[in-house]
Order: sequence, then C-alpha cells, then structure tokens
Amino acid sequence: MVATVGQQNELNQAKPGLKGEVSHFSNERIGSKLMAMGVLPGSQIEYIRKAPFGGGCYVKVDNVLLGLRKAEAASIVLK
Amino acid sequence: MTKTFTIALLGNPNCGKSSLFNQLTGLRQKVGNFPGVTVDKKVGKLSLGTGQEVSIIDFPGTYSLYPTSIDERIVVQSLSNPNDENYPDAVVYVADVTKLEKHLLLLTQLRDLGLPLVLALNMADVAEQQGLEVSTELLSKRLGVPVVMLSGRTGAGVDDLKLLLEEIIARPGSYSASSPFFNMSGQEKALADAAKTIVPGANTYQGLLIAHHYEWLPFLSEAQRALLKDTSEEHGFVSLSSQVGETMQRFDRFTPVVRSALQSRDSDEKGITERLDIVLTHRFFGPLIFFGLMLLVFQAIFAWAGTPMEWIETFFTFVGDQVREILPAGWFTDLLTDGIIAGLGGVLVFIPQITILFLLIAILEEVGYMARAAFMFDQVMQSFGLNGRSIVALVSGGACAIPAIMSTRTIGNWKERLITILVTPFISCSARIPVYTVLVGFVVPPKTVLGIFNMQGLAFMGLYLLGIVSALGAAYIFKLILKTREQSFLMLELPEYRVPVARNVGLTVWEKVQSFVVEAGKIILGVSIILWFLASYGPPGEMAAAETEALSAAEQLQLDETETDNLVASRKIEASFAGHIGKAVEPVIRPLGYDWKIGIALITSFAAREVFVGTMATIYSIGSADDEFTVRERMAQERNPLTGEPVYNLATALSLLLFYVFAMQCMSTVAVVKRETKSWKWPAIQFAFMTGLAYLSALLAYQLLS
Repeated sequence: MVATVGQQNELNQAKPGLKGEVSHFSNERIGSKLMAMGVLPGSQIEYIRKAPFGGGCYVKVDNVLLGLRKAEAASIVLK
Repeated sequence: MTKTFTIALLGNPNCGKSSLFNQLTGLRQKVGNFPGVTVDKKVGKLSLGTGQEVSIIDFPGTYSLYPTSIDERIVVQSLSNPNDENYPDAVVYVADVTKLEKHLLLLTQLRDLGLPLVLALNMADVAEQQGLEVSTELLSKRLGVPVVMLSGRTGAGVDDLKLLLEEIIARPGSYSASSPFFNMSGQEKALADAAKTIVPGANTYQGLLIAHHYEWLPFLSEAQRALLKDTSEEHGFVSLSSQVGETMQRFDRFTPVVRSALQSRDSDEKGITERLDIVLTHRFFGPLIFFGLMLLVFQAIFAWAGTPMEWIETFFTFVGDQVREILPAGWFTDLLTDGIIAGLGGVLVFIPQITILFLLIAILEEVGYMARAAFMFDQVMQSFGLNGRSIVALVSGGACAIPAIMSTRTIGNWKERLITILVTPFISCSARIPVYTVLVGFVVPPKTVLGIFNMQGLAFMGLYLLGIVSALGAAYIFKLILKTREQSFLMLELPEYRVPVARNVGLTVWEKVQSFVVEAGKIILGVSIILWFLASYGPPGEMAAAETEALSAAEQLQLDETETDNLVASRKIEASFAGHIGKAVEPVIRPLGYDWKIGIALITSFAAREVFVGTMATIYSIGSADDEFTVRERMAQERNPLTGEPVYNLATALSLLLFYVFAMQCMSTVAVVKRETKSWKWPAIQFAFMTGLAYLSALLAYQLLS
C-alpha cells in the first residue's frame, strides 16, 4: 500500500472501457472506505464511463455499480 | 418483561432494509432523533405470534464500524457502548443476497460484538429470477449465525424471520457467537484488553472499537479519553492500518464461504440497469434527461395541485362562513374564523403541492434514479461546497423550502448538508408566485420581444434565475467560511433500477407530509393568530374612532354597502397595532421606497409570503384578494400624498421584487432549519444574511432608479 509518484495505472488515467484488477490504493483513507464497500485488491473493475461536467467515474466492481469522484478513482491503482 | 425487547435492523446502504422495516412495522413507526444529532431514528413496533410486542430500530445504512459520516457514527456509538439507550437486545442483519460478497463485512463485525444475530438474506425474489442458488445451511454453519431468505418487497419469508425472532427472544444467549470471527494481532488484543479496563462493560471487540474511535465517542469521559490516548500511544497503535488489516482479514475469511454457498448462473450479458444507464448517465443526454424530468415534475405540480388547492380554499371559506352564521358575533368568533380557520387553511392549502412533489421524488428515489442524478451533478455541486445529493433539495425548493430542507438528510457530510440547508430558501418557492405576479407588471410592460418572448415571462424567469444564482453564490461563500474535519465522499452505490413498491413510496410520502403539517402548521397557525390580533386591535379607542370616522366619510360620499365595509376595514387596519407597527418601521424601509402600508404587508409576509397579496387587498380596501389583477390596478392608482407621484413606479416595484426574491420571510422555514440543525444559531445566521441581502439589493435598486 505504498504510493509511487507518477504512477500511470491509476484508474482515472485510464480510458472508459478499460477492464482490470485492483492492485492497491494510493490513498489509504479513501482505500479503507472503498474496501468497506467491497472494492478490494484483487477485485475485477471496469471503468464504464466518465460523469458529465468533467466529473467522476461510473465503474463496475465485480457485480456492483459505483459512482466515484475523481480523487476517489485516482486512488485506485490497477495491476 | 421489564423492558421492551429491542431489535436493531442493520445493513449496508441499498440492502433493502427500509422495505423490510416497512413490512415488519407498517404504519406503526415513529421518526425521532438519535441523541445529540439530527440523524433520523425510525422506531417501529412489531407484534409476534406469541403476542409479545418488540420494538425495532431502523439504523442508518452503513458499510462498516469505521464510520465516515455522522449517520454511520450513530451505529458505532450505539453499538460500542452496552449502556447506550439504543443498545439492542438482538440484531437482524439485512444483506442483499445478489451482492452477498460485498455485504458481509459489517455482519462479521456485529458478530464479534457478541450480540444475538440473525442474517436476513434480502431480495430472494431477484435471486430467484437471476437463477441464484443459495445454501442457507452452509452459510449458517460457516458464519455461525441463523440465516433466513426473504424479500422485503414481496413479503415472502418475513414470517420465517418472525418465528426465528421468537426463538431468539426466548433464548438470546444461544444466538451470540462464541468465538470471534476476526483474530486480532497481539498488539490489538493487548490494546483492546487495556481499553476494556478503562471502559468497564465492553467486550474485547468493543474495546478495540473504543481504541479506534476514542477521539469522538460521546459516551467517554475526558479522563477516559486521556487514558485511552496514552494507552494507544504506548502500544504504538496506528488506527488506519489496523482498520485496513482487519477489513482484509474479514473479507479473506468470508469470501470463500460465500463462494461455496452461492451458485450463480454466470452471464457476461449487460443487465437492464447498465443498458438504461448508457443513456440516463450519458455525459450529454444524462443531464438533459434530468432537466426534462424536473420540468415534468414541476408541470405536474402546477397542473395537478391547482384544483385540490381550490377545494381546500373553498372548504375553509365555507367553514369560516358557517361558523360566523352559527356563533354570535364577537372577538371569539373573529379569532376562530379570521385567526385559526384562516391560518389552518393557509397551511393545508400547500398539501397538494407538497404531496405531489414528494410522491414524484419518492418514486424517482425508489426506482434508483436519484443516485444517478447525485452522481451526475456531484462535480458541479462540489465546486459550490455542496454535494451531488443537494440537487434534490434545490429542485424541491422550487415548490417549498420546508420539504426541501427535510430532504437534505440523505447528505452524509455535515458541512455539505448545512450549506444546502442554508441556501435552499433562496430558490423561488411557490409562495412567491402571487407576489411576483402582482409586481412584475410595474417593472416590465406586457410586450413581446424578438417575436416570441413575452417580456413579463422573461422577467419571471429572471427572478427564478436570480434565486438560483444567489443560492449557488451564497453556497460558495459558506464553502470558504465553514470548516470541517469530516472528509467528504461521493462513493455512491448506483443501485439496480427497480419497479417502485407502493408501500414504501406511500409511507415515505405520508411521513413527510405529516411532518410538514405538524412543523409548518404550528408556526403558521401561531403567527396567523398573532397577526389577526395585531390587525384587529389597536390602542384603546383608536379603532372605534377610526370606524366612526370612516362611516361618516362613507355617508358623505354616498358609498354603497360593500364600498363602506371596505373603507371601514382599511381605516381600521391603519388604526390597529399592525398599522402602528407599519408606521414605526417606515423610517427603516423609506430608503427602499416603501411606505407604512407596504410595511404592514412586509410584516404579515413573515408568516408566509403569499399573505402579501391579501394584506394589500385589505389595506387598499378592495375586500377580496381573489383577483391579483384587481389588486394591481388599485396599487397603480396609489399616489404619494406629498409629491403626487405614483407609489408603485419602476423603482419601488423592482425594489420590492428583489426584497421578495432574497428575504427569509417564512417563519415555518426558520422553524424547520432550527429543527434540522438542532440550534438557533444557523436559522439566525440564515435570517440575517438573507434579509440583509434583500435590504441591500432593494436599497441599491431603489436609490439608483429613483
């Protein structure tokens, strides 16, 4: 759970349509909350679309749909 | 039985907990508050087959015992303290069986608290449709808790739950877990044991929770807090990493259990929800559809509410007339008809609008659409210090600020919720419409511009826009001023679209309308009685003198009966206490271009804004306020006795319009804000800045234009 500067595989850097597996979280506080919701290292995540007005991301984690803010999505690092 | 057996209903957000609560308790529920905070506490009564009555507390939906909002804190503070007034005797844990892998974290935490526990697997109907097979025996055996399959929507399986509850009540001890689910590290164990000695009565896991949350847990004394802080530092305890470790371990342990107990028909096919969301949350069409829906909602309010509102008005006029005929004339009859019956009518006339608005919003919420709206507008709302969910309150504010403010309870972050409450009354509500209708004609002529646009229609739209812009502007200022330690999250689960359940929608609407009638009702009724008194009585002798004078003037002018009555009414109100107050405030409102007559109307508007038109009608002795245009014509003839200029010119009318857009002139809203924020501080601040802004903008408009 260590943050690496300039990481390229953060979720918000990705393009909609991308599917992957959660590796870890770059922000532990956001990560702990995401984990409580069932977003865990090893979860299958699909970035479905961007929110209107340059907002957050619409994602599917395993079989659950989630709306995330940009900062929340940015803390998810993919494998 | 000395004390009613209390069952807590707990589960993640969107697990269908409220549906089950409604199934179990029906109309036998009450909404209260948890001590010290504004979080709703729903308590219901359930009668079991044994004839025993138990009470059920519907706790806010929460993901884990590591809270991030005030809602979730309530769960932790009630469950980590065995002496809490809401500490339950048993827990019914509700989980969405179609998402069981995500929904068991809190269950395993509750299990470690040592509370008797049942796992209710909700959405059994959906599971069946999806071909999901569940082995409840296996789950029950591996998790160490009894398991029932049920559906809060259809009611299937609810009787099984009731039978199980009877057993638990008979032998609660045999339904608590004997060994903990989570194996603490040596450090955690030592710290939890230390916390147990500091807070007697707690079990080991409660000890650990107390060590995590000692900074804010309200039941700890300062001495205990200091001791816990020292102990925690001694052990080199890092709360966040311990929390992450615990969460991981729990998931690692229950995920294989869930996988072995559930057989799902795997399909990669996109569900109906995902296909609908392609359009409904589209970057361009999503917001467009939202605005279209809102337009429909408001159309519905104006189209459907008109007729029942007329019925209510007619009914109260009829009752008032009947009372006048039956009872002898006198102050008591006047109080009853002009004070109480008129006041009640003033509250109840808004019920159709509020019911329709709540009905439509409850349906959108129940279907699952409101979570999408919150998700789509979160970015925009955030830049004003609001939350995506604030959009619901701002839209509702277009009908009435009272239900709008009550709808902010879904906003988890206190700062974002407070800002939403503070700025919502800026949105032009339906009570402002009659006032705008009367005044807008003095500001712009009824001309058509650019071929299709009616100038007055555009001015109306401008006033609404002004309300929206000032709401957002004020929100931005509050965002800069208010500080909070509470972190703000969106992290919103977007639930599957579902056909709404009539029972759930009905209960929501019932509860909200009831709370409007009670909250707004007592204020409007009280203020109406006070206003009736102020307008009907004056300093000794003055009222009688005014009446005699008016009657002789009427005789000289040879007025007919109606005209005489109107003249008498207008002279009497001038002599009344209200007239005196109007004259007393005249120096303050003179710079805005208002005379004492407008002063009276401003004061009476503090009960509710639409009273303006009625007051104007009384002051200008028109008699009935049925026709806003009659009032406007009479106002247009009004001259300043000193200069001979019309009183209602562009400057005065614009100044008044601005005053009504901005000013906090609704006592019921003040009362509701007080209730929702649990202090007089916020309604006082809100009243001061809104009315201050109203005064300044009205002053500026009048001084620049006259």
